[in-house]
This record gives sequence, C-alpha cells and structure tokens, in this order.
Amino acid sequence: MDFAYTPAEEEFRKALRLWLVDALPQGWAETVFEPDDEDERAQFRLDWERKLHAGGWSGINWPKEYGGRGATLIERGIFAEEMARAGAPEGINIIGHNLAGTTILRHGTEAQKKRFLPAIISSDEVWCQGFSEPNAGSDLASVRTRAERHGDKFIVNGQKIWTSYAQYSQWCFALVRTDPDVPKHKGLSFLLIDMKSPGISIRPLRQISGESEFNETFFDDVEVPVENIVGDINDGWRIAMTTLAYERGPEDALGRQIRFKQELDRLLAILADQKRGDGFAIDDAETRQRLARSITEVEVMRLNSLRTFSKYLNGEERGPDASLLKLYWSHAAQRMYETALDALGPLAPLAGNDRQAAGGGRFQMSWLQSKAFTIYSGSSEIQRNIIGERMLGLPR
Amino acid sequence: MNFGFDEDQKSLAHTVAQQLADFPSLIAPELTTAANDEVWRALTDLGLFALLVPERNDGVGLTMVDLALAVEALGAGLAPPLVVSTLLATDAIMRHGSDPQQRALLPRVAIGELKIAIALLEADSGYDVRTCRTTLTDESLHGEKILVAGAADADLLLVVASGNNGPVVVLVEPGAAGVTVQAHDDLDPTSGHCAIRFDRVKLDGDAVLGQAAPARAVERLLDVGATLYAGQLMGIAARMLDAAVDYAKTRVQFGQPIGAFQAIKHRCADMAVAVEAGRSAAYYAFWAVSHDAPDRARAASMAKAYCGDVGRHVCNETIQVHGGMGFTWELGLHRFLRRSKVIEHAFGDAAWHNERIVAETLAEMTGADDRNQNAA
Repeated sequence: MDFAYTPAEEEFRKALRLWLVDALPQGWAETVFEPDDEDERAQFRLDWERKLHAGGWSGINWPKEYGGRGATLIERGIFAEEMARAGAPEGINIIGHNLAGTTILRHGTEAQKKRFLPAIISSDEVWCQGFSEPNAGSDLASVRTRAERHGDKFIVNGQKIWTSYAQYSQWCFALVRTDPDVPKHKGLSFLLIDMKSPGISIRPLRQISGESEFNETFFDDVEVPVENIVGDINDGWRIAMTTLAYERGPEDALGRQIRFKQELDRLLAILADQKRGDGFAIDDAETRQRLARSITEVEVMRLNSLRTFSKYLNGEERGPDASLLKLYWSHAAQRMYETALDALGPLAPLAGNDRQAAGGGRFQMSWLQSKAFTIYSGSSEIQRNIIGERMLGLPR
Repeated sequence: MNFGFDEDQKSLAHTVAQQLADFPSLIAPELTTAANDEVWRALTDLGLFALLVPERNDGVGLTMVDLALAVEALGAGLAPPLVVSTLLATDAIMRHGSDPQQRALLPRVAIGELKIAIALLEADSGYDVRTCRTTLTDESLHGEKILVAGAADADLLLVVASGNNGPVVVLVEPGAAGVTVQAHDDLDPTSGHCAIRFDRVKLDGDAVLGQAAPARAVERLLDVGATLYAGQLMGIAARMLDAAVDYAKTRVQFGQPIGAFQAIKHRCADMAVAVEAGRSAAYYAFWAVSHDAPDRARAASMAKAYCGDVGRHVCNETIQVHGGMGFTWELGLHRFLRRSKVIEHAFGDAAWHNERIVAETLAEMTGADDRNQNAA
C-alpha cells in the first residue's frame, strides 16, 4: 500500500497545474465567480467543459480511439485533486461523462462508441438521465414509460422526473418498458434518445433551494431508431445497474469531495475571521469538535474513493461497494452543512445577498441543496438494502 | 500510488489471526490472562517482534504500513496489549534511540526478549503531555502514571515525563529502586492496566530517548500510538460486524431470519460503512507515520478520533442486533466491548484528537497563506 505518487503521476499533475494557471479566468474564486443566473451559469459551465476539451483535459481516462487520453484511474484522481486545488468550476456534462459515456463504453456497440463518446468529450452533446418516474422512484424497476417497436423504430410514451439539466441537454439515456408481460426487471430496455425529437416536452421542477435544475420530461410518441438501444432488448436492467454503479462510484464521490473540501476550507476561514463576543466564532469548543468531525469525514470521503480506485486497478469488479461510497458521502456532507449553519450561530439564517450573510450566503444554499444528497441516485434506504443484501449477504 | 495491500501484508495478518485463534481464552467470556505468556511465545516464533527492527539490529526492517493489517488482527483477536505496546516502543527506539540504545535493545526486542509497556497517562493531567506532572530532574524520575497496560509483565517501561526543556520519553527498568507497580481495577482486566509510582527513581545518563530533540520522540510516540490503537479498534469493529451479520442471518423471529428486516439490515449496512470509513482513516495514518508525512499528526488524530467512534458504534450496535443474547456474559461480546472502550480512551480520546485536528488544520491554512504571500 502506498499513498505516494510515481514520477509519471507527478509529471501528469505538473502539466495539469501549469495548464490550469492560464485556463482559469483572471481573479477566479477571488473576485470572479460563477454567474448567479441559472441559464448564464449553465453556459459558463459549458464553456468551461469546452476549454478543458480544447486543452486535452476532458474524458482523460477514456481510450484514445474515442478522444480520451488513456489516463489511469489514479491520474483521474489527480485530475480531481488539481481541479479542487484551483477551485475550478464544475462542468455541465457530468451526466454525459460519468454515466452515459461510461455505460456506452462498457455496453455500447462499436458504432455507438464512435458516434457518442467523442461528442461527450467535446461537450458538443450534453446528456441527461431518464430513470425515475413519478411512480418509480426507489422501485426503479417498475418504470412505466413504454417503448414499442415499430419496424426500425421504438415509439416512446411516458414521463420521467428529476431529469437534471434536461433543458440544456442534447441527449437523454432512458430506462423504458419494452415488455409489460414479464416480471418487471426483465421487460426493460436502455435507450439513447435525441432530445430534439418531436414529442419531447420539458417542465422545470422547482426544488427546495428555489432552483430549477430538475425537470419533468414528457415523451409523446417519440421516435427512437432501434440502433439507439444499448445492450439487447429487455436487457436494460443490467445496463442500468452499470450506470448506477458509475453514478455512485469513486469518480463521482471524489468530484463531490473536492467541492465539499473547498466549502469546508472557506467555512474555516470565515469562522476564524468572524467576531463573536470577545473572540471569534472558531473559538467555540462545541463548534471545534464538530468541525473536526467534518474535516475528518471529508478526508475519509477522499480516502474511500482512492481505496476503491485501487481495488478496481487491482482487478476487482465494480459492485455494491459504490453504494457504500454514496451512503457515506451523502450523510457526511449533510452533517457538514448542518455544522456550518450551527457554527455561524446567530448569523445562520442570513442568506442570499444579505450584506451580513457569511460567505455570500453560500452555506445556506448548500444546506438546502444537501437535503437531496440522501435521496437522489438511490435513497439511503435503497443503498442500505444493497449493502445489506449484496455485500453482507443478508436475506432479502 | 496504490491503496491496496500486497499479498505479504495480507498473509502476515492472516497468520497473526490464526496464531491468536489457537488461544480461545483470549476471547472467551471469562476475563483471564492465563494464555498471555504462550501467546507471546507464539508471536515471537512467528517473528512478529523482529519485523519492525532494522536489519542492522538483527531485524527484518519492515514499516508500519506492512504491519497495518496485522495490527487489525491483533485488535480483532484481543491480543495482550503488551504486544502492540512493544511494537510501538520498537518504533520509538528505532526512530529516536541513540546508537547505544538501539544496539542494546533492538536485537533483544527482535527475539521477543523484551516486553515493553508505555506509561503515558496521569490521573490529573488529561491527555496533553505538556501538563504532565511526572518529572525528570537531575536524572531522577518522580511521579505517578496510570493505566499502563501490561506493566506487571513488562521488562522495560517507556515513560513520558516533563524534562527540563519539555516532555521527554525515558527508558526505565520496572525493577529499579523506587518503582512500584500496582494493578488497577478497571473495565478490561485482561489489559493488565497498572498504576506505577516512580519515587525519585535514579536513571543513568542514557535513559532519555532522542537526546537531541526529545520532544519529537514524544510526539512520534503519541502519533504512532494513536495509529496502532486506531488499527486495533478497526480489527475489533470488523469482527463485531461479522458477528452481527452472522447472527442476523441465522436468528429466526416472526418466521424469518432477523437480517431480512430492514431495521436490522440497515443497522448492519451502516456498520459496514463505518468499518470501511474507519479503515480509510486508519490506513492513511499507518502510511503517514511510516513516511513521517507532513500531516502525520493530523492523520493520526483523525484515525484515533474516528476509529474510536466507529469502535464504540459497532460494538453497541452488535450487542443490540444480538438482542437478549448480546447482553449475556456467556456470549462474550462484552470482551470486545470492554477492550474497545479502554482503547478508545488510550492515546487520546476523540475530544482531544478532534481539538488537535482543528488546530493542525488552522495552522496549515495559515501556513499556506503565508507561503502564498511570500511567493507573491
């Protein structure tokens, strides 16, 4: 076991660090921030994805033949660390990179790989995820959106929900029912759907944070060419499990860890400067205990991810261990934001643009957003079932 | 970079676990230390005590990382605490001992001739060594230590004391004039906890570890101790998780194994998450102390604070999953509960380490700011 990096890995880090110096906007994270407006922010994140691509830093661990650079998972980890160090913006095509691309890479045909992967890497095509439905949440296998085959097309009818970034996406991958007469897991297929297809409509859903990143997406006689199925017809559940393993996997967890680390560092800096009585907010003993817990948990998130990377590198298969990562980071991050608000004491309610809000109200917004962590990509209860049954072997 | 352990490291842990399993009384319900001498001999035959000793002192020259999984196994098997304290002392002597100290002690450690206990805590000093009231003045040691695990069987004591210029670690023979060892009555009688009085004990000039910078020897002793104890806690926690899962699979109520109920299944899942998270913290600390990494202190504190909480959580939950059986003497879960609790409070408890984590983090942030300003 060695937590140190090889010379080649350090070289990779140096090249990336050099590139980042010029790539980030002047004054980034000090005087220059992401736009407040959601649409402007989406454009900003798209521009950032394209800049990464232009510099050769997009889709780095995918094979070269599809536009990647064949980087190792460890280099992928270094990439995430350096993005964190620089406080780099988020991309908008996370679902394309982490879910659509990885699933196509694993289960797609050669033609699908050639068609879709380069456009994900270049972010010419942004993706959204069509899994959940109003009546198929934790019980994902009971999705009702129908896809009926007519010649060389599927005709899709139904409704998906919680489709993040649907309004900015060119493509959607969806889990649809292709056979209603077999047990529910066995009648599903995995389709790639062009969001420009006639019959698709999107309605934004407002979240408790006030934002509308989520949508309801409606499919009304939407035509999908049969070549856009991933895997065989009625084999969609198996494909979707791959997608979920990636959605909950170490790449995702490490990317998030970096954001949490940045926010925790900002919180510490703010508390160290925040006057309270004769001293500073950071002096409070109870606050310090809870901050220490969050410092540790955010570091453990990183180590959990790196340990999982190493397992895959050493030849182990992706499996229920992804649920373990997700269950951990989601609750740890929620605790961190609760700690953040408690640590701010009387200032905790001040949010948004209030002139006395700490850190521009970021912690209040993040606290609201964090309520989704233990619900999306499989609620904690579902993750616990998976861990209990598939890792520990407890009876169903 | 690779966070996986190699086959040698895994096989060492496996062998240690097997050796300990040969002595059922280690984990039996009755609180006995009858097997301790035999366990010591078995682990000596295995070569455990030579592993950390450098080759120049007749050892194997392995690192703490190489022993990480073996330390988990020692925890899981409720090995006599002298085993781990001797490994800890080996590290201290090897890193900070003078040449003569190393030549005199390490070859004997390697062949299992020296059982070494660590005397750190005092009844009225908390965990902070800067407030340590045991003093070393003019080569005379005076004061009282508590909770020295295995002291009655030890051949050598490593004692933390306040020297003229700060904390020091001193080597003391338990048979020296003025040393009185008295057994405690405590939660885990199998840890062999003793109080030790040092009544103006005369030491020779070479008794201090790391003469040049003695405080560094103390710091490292604390960090490595915290790490080794965190590792043991993870061994206990992993074993308790296994016990809970096994019981949940076989115990039938309401016509089905209780592990089918989400109330039980989810508790087990949360324990599994806690065990893996604790291991992440512990393994990183093993790496950090092996490499003397810049964040060694914080890594060790994170591991100890976190694994302490995990050990407590998993022991409590495992007893709960076992229901009425869990509370019985005969099932023996109390052995792990007791050991876990005393380890949790040794080498700094969670509150103490948490404070250290925050202090280290803030200091690092300030340091980073200063470096940036200097660079600008």
